[in-house]
Amino acid sequence: MKPALELRGVVKRLPSGARTLTIVDGIDLSVAPGEFVAILGPSGSGKSTLLGLMAGLDRPTAGEVFLDGQPLHSMDEDALALLRRRSVGFVFQSFQLLQNLTALENVLLPAELARLPEPRSRAEELLAAVGLAERGHHYPSQLSGGEQQRVALARAFAPKPAILLADEPTGNLDSATGAAVLDLMAELRERGGTTLVLVTHDAELAGRAHRKVFLRDGRVERDERAG
Amino acid sequence: MNPGFYLRTLARESRGARGRLTFFALCLATGVAAVVAVAGLGNGLAGGVRSQARQLLAADVTVEGLHAVPKPVLEAAGRRVETGELLELVTVVSVPPAVAGDLAEAISAVPQAPPHGSAGDLAEAISAVPQAPPHGSAGDLAEAISDGADGRRQPDLANEPGHSRLVELKVVTGRYPFYGTLVLSPERTLSELLTAETCVVAPDLLHRLEVPRDGTISIGGARFRIGGVIVAEPDRIAGALSIGPRVFLSREGYARTGLGGFGSRVVHRVLFKLPEGAGPEAAQALAERLKKATGDSSAYRVQTYVDARPELRQGIRRVERFLSLVALLSLLIGGVGVSQSVRAWIASRLDAIAVLRCLGMRPREVFGLYLGQTGLLALAGSLAGAAAGLLLLVLVPRLYAGFLPQGWVTPWQPMAVLRGLGMGVGVALLFSLPPLASVRRVPPARVLRRDAEPLPPSRATLLFAGLLLAGGLVGFAALQARSLRIGGLFAAGLLAAAAVLGLSAFGLSKALGRVPRLSVAWPLRSGLSNTGRPGTGVIGSIVALGLGVLVVLALQLVHTHLADQLVADLPQGAPTAFFLDVQPDQWPGVLEVLRSEGASGVDSVPVVMARLSAINGKDVEVIAARQSGQRSENRRWALTREQRLTYLDKLPRDNKVVEGKLWADPRPEVSLEAEFAKNLGAKVGSMLTFDLQGVPLTLLVSSLRTVDWRTFGINFFFVVEPGVLEDAPQNRLAAARLPKAKEQRIQDLLAQRYPNITVIVIREVLERVVKVVQRMGIAVRTLGGFAVLTGIVILAGAVSAGTVRRGRDAALLKTLGVTRAGVAAVFAVEYALIGLVAGALGTLGGYAIAWLVVTEGFEMPWRSPLLPGAVSVAGAVALTVLAGLGASARALRRRPLEALREE
Repeated sequence: MKPALELRGVVKRLPSGARTLTIVDGIDLSVAPGEFVAILGPSGSGKSTLLGLMAGLDRPTAGEVFLDGQPLHSMDEDALALLRRRSVGFVFQSFQLLQNLTALENVLLPAELARLPEPRSRAEELLAAVGLAERGHHYPSQLSGGEQQRVALARAFAPKPAILLADEPTGNLDSATGAAVLDLMAELRERGGTTLVLVTHDAELAGRAHRKVFLRDGRVERDERAG
Repeated sequence: MNPGFYLRTLARESRGARGRLTFFALCLATGVAAVVAVAGLGNGLAGGVRSQARQLLAADVTVEGLHAVPKPVLEAAGRRVETGELLELVTVVSVPPAVAGDLAEAISAVPQAPPHGSAGDLAEAISAVPQAPPHGSAGDLAEAISDGADGRRQPDLANEPGHSRLVELKVVTGRYPFYGTLVLSPERTLSELLTAETCVVAPDLLHRLEVPRDGTISIGGARFRIGGVIVAEPDRIAGALSIGPRVFLSREGYARTGLGGFGSRVVHRVLFKLPEGAGPEAAQALAERLKKATGDSSAYRVQTYVDARPELRQGIRRVERFLSLVALLSLLIGGVGVSQSVRAWIASRLDAIAVLRCLGMRPREVFGLYLGQTGLLALAGSLAGAAAGLLLLVLVPRLYAGFLPQGWVTPWQPMAVLRGLGMGVGVALLFSLPPLASVRRVPPARVLRRDAEPLPPSRATLLFAGLLLAGGLVGFAALQARSLRIGGLFAAGLLAAAAVLGLSAFGLSKALGRVPRLSVAWPLRSGLSNTGRPGTGVIGSIVALGLGVLVVLALQLVHTHLADQLVADLPQGAPTAFFLDVQPDQWPGVLEVLRSEGASGVDSVPVVMARLSAINGKDVEVIAARQSGQRSENRRWALTREQRLTYLDKLPRDNKVVEGKLWADPRPEVSLEAEFAKNLGAKVGSMLTFDLQGVPLTLLVSSLRTVDWRTFGINFFFVVEPGVLEDAPQNRLAAARLPKAKEQRIQDLLAQRYPNITVIVIREVLERVVKVVQRMGIAVRTLGGFAVLTGIVILAGAVSAGTVRRGRDAALLKTLGVTRAGVAAVFAVEYALIGLVAGALGTLGGYAIAWLVVTEGFEMPWRSPLLPGAVSVAGAVALTVLAGLGASARALRRRPLEALREE
């Protein structure tokens, strides 16, 4: 079966003052459709940068990235955007909700961008799924952190993405709320058969994944598969 | 994105835009208001001229010239066309001596008609006569007194001349006016009120001469009873530059004045009225017929109501062009503010933009979203501005009542509003394109790395934005000036000024940052360091504020130079009065009056009136008809005007021969003023043939000379060698310096003795010019004020855009134990420095531009008054501090912890 995501010899270097830092240093990785992969590592190990490369948010200095079989490294900004709107969902540590949109509108936006047939009912359905059916008209600033992350989850799943990329989704939440959010994410993933790549430094969180990839200094240190 | 989704997203994205909207709107609104008001004013005036063209001409077609319009021309009009004739001339009217002052009152109290012609008895009669004089005998009475008053009994009354005034005389034959209404008081027609013995006058003449409404005045050699007063005259624009009040006479009355003598400058005008319902084509056809009948002579000007009053329309267009550009300037300064506010706004939206990109929005979709929003904001701001502009149009006619014809400027001006909206939105988009372009370059990876800033735009993008901005600038300026050339010059000048201001501001703020500050008090130290590392907004605010100061100061300086130069600084020794049409036999008498009344610098030259008939044997009419191009109007005028020649042995001191030699050729010679020679197309060696009352005279151009016209001395385009013109019919032109206190008396005396002589006191004429200049000055400075206002709004905007930083600074200072007043002082120093830099640069620029305009444009000597400069620098500092502190009020109020927690 064709992998949902494939990285071949990916390198990312960034200028830092006069020097050039190598953040990602030759990573090969293949993620199967429906797989749940956790990427672990200490801070500065290149986890978040790798996630950006996987989504085409950033371009590799060298190497190739294939998402759903498509070569991200050779696509222009427009093509990347169109690919993202159809196939990729995001969840971030700092939620990244649009502050001037209500919860419902935040969820609605990607559904509309993806031109789903009934964006409104899809958004309402997802909000109900994350337990915020009654809070749709609230603005992000009127919601608690956990609630905001649940809205972000709903938004991420709105366009029915093939792959979901999550960057420390519970990093800004207390452990109980974090666990609840994680349960939700797992549940939504199960329901849609979505591939999930989760970046975290929390080993307990990573325990739920099918596979754990450990990074150190921009390289894959270990690649463990559960059971 | 489909349109529905685009609009929905647009609407959602504009939430929370209120604060931004206010600033954005203010930036644009002031400029748009100025543009709309000026355009509305211009449209109103031009429309007024158009719609009242017939009234302004008082006819469908007119023919005018300096000679009576020949019969064949009148006949060429055809039987169905009505005609009326007018004569127009400038002359002096005066109050006949004895009717002036107390006597006039005495007369009205006189109970009985005095015995005719006996002055001796009269004096007694006045005190004892028991009956009022029958109406109309006042004139006779006055004559009786001046003819025979006994010096011993009535010394003062007899010798004291009444007041006199320069007036514009109009002599009416037939129906007048054909269009518009001449409103008179009492309410009768002109022909009913005018007889051979009466005149109709403008009310201000009564006031100036201190005559009662039924009084008597002298015009030329005759007396006229005032039969009525003018309430409204259709073909005269109130307040426009006129030489004096209007006086109407009948043809018979005019014959009595004896003013039609040789050499007086009388404009003959025939009015033609087409049958009812005739359109512009009929008027044009009639004009063609009339032109043909005059033999296409340029001695007569044929006008139709379609092209009525070209001088008026041209004047309006010129004023409008100037004001339009000043208005555009404040709009463009507003553009700087728009650019800043968009930059600040985009900076605050970078995270959201990155999220949108993450969710799969393409760069151009994000750009479109923000461009659309900018457009909407611009439209809102422009609408507010247009409303304010219309409000101004309501106020303007009230402010300039008596200057603008009533009802011409109406507040509802859809075209002006459209222009304002178009320019407002256009300028806003133009100026926000560069900052908006960065939206396309926000890296989506910013969602993961907060420090991922927008990539710098490519060189091609910068070039494109720059070209677009420059092109747009030229386009808008050309639109406002209705001339690509002027628009281009304006844009180039503005860009240069902005570049110089920007670079100087940058350099100065860098220099301020290097001032050693460890030894100065800490508010100053802190202010210096803040100004020394300017944020993005500071240079922009300095440029905007500096431009505003520059504009206002330059306008003010040019204006004071014009006004002062006109009134106060008549050059030393320059004549203050001119005496026209002095007949040769009158000159000794005039000289005696001038001498006995203490006039100095009396100068007089003979004047011979002639027409130029040929240059080097070529008919002047033919040459005139062939002129085309930019200066053709000047050339035609130079060739065909009534020429005034004088003869002198030595040239006046203010003349300088620049080519050829004076009086060195055996042939009869003429010396030409150089500029005028250019218009004639004559050179040294050309032969000019004149027509002196039918006698041809050919003269060799032997020299060209320049004239310093600023001395106001008597000067001629043509100076002829002595010994040629002595026997030609001639009169004298004289000039003299009159003691200020004697000005009126000399005028009055001459008016009484030599009514044909026209005295023009330069001071009065200049004062009238100054009044018009001053009124213009108010309008111009009001518009300039818009520019400063916009500059201040921008500064306030730049300051509040930095509220977060300021809030943090304030919080830190407060945590360190600084009081709120202390923090305010730190901020105040910073703003004062900004104001100082902007004020100083703008002031320098203002002086530079005013100097250029005054010395090069008006060729006047430059004085550099320091006060306006000091005021403008101080004003800039004060306004900047006020606006800055006002805008940082919120930052000052916040509690330290609130601000610090946001870190």
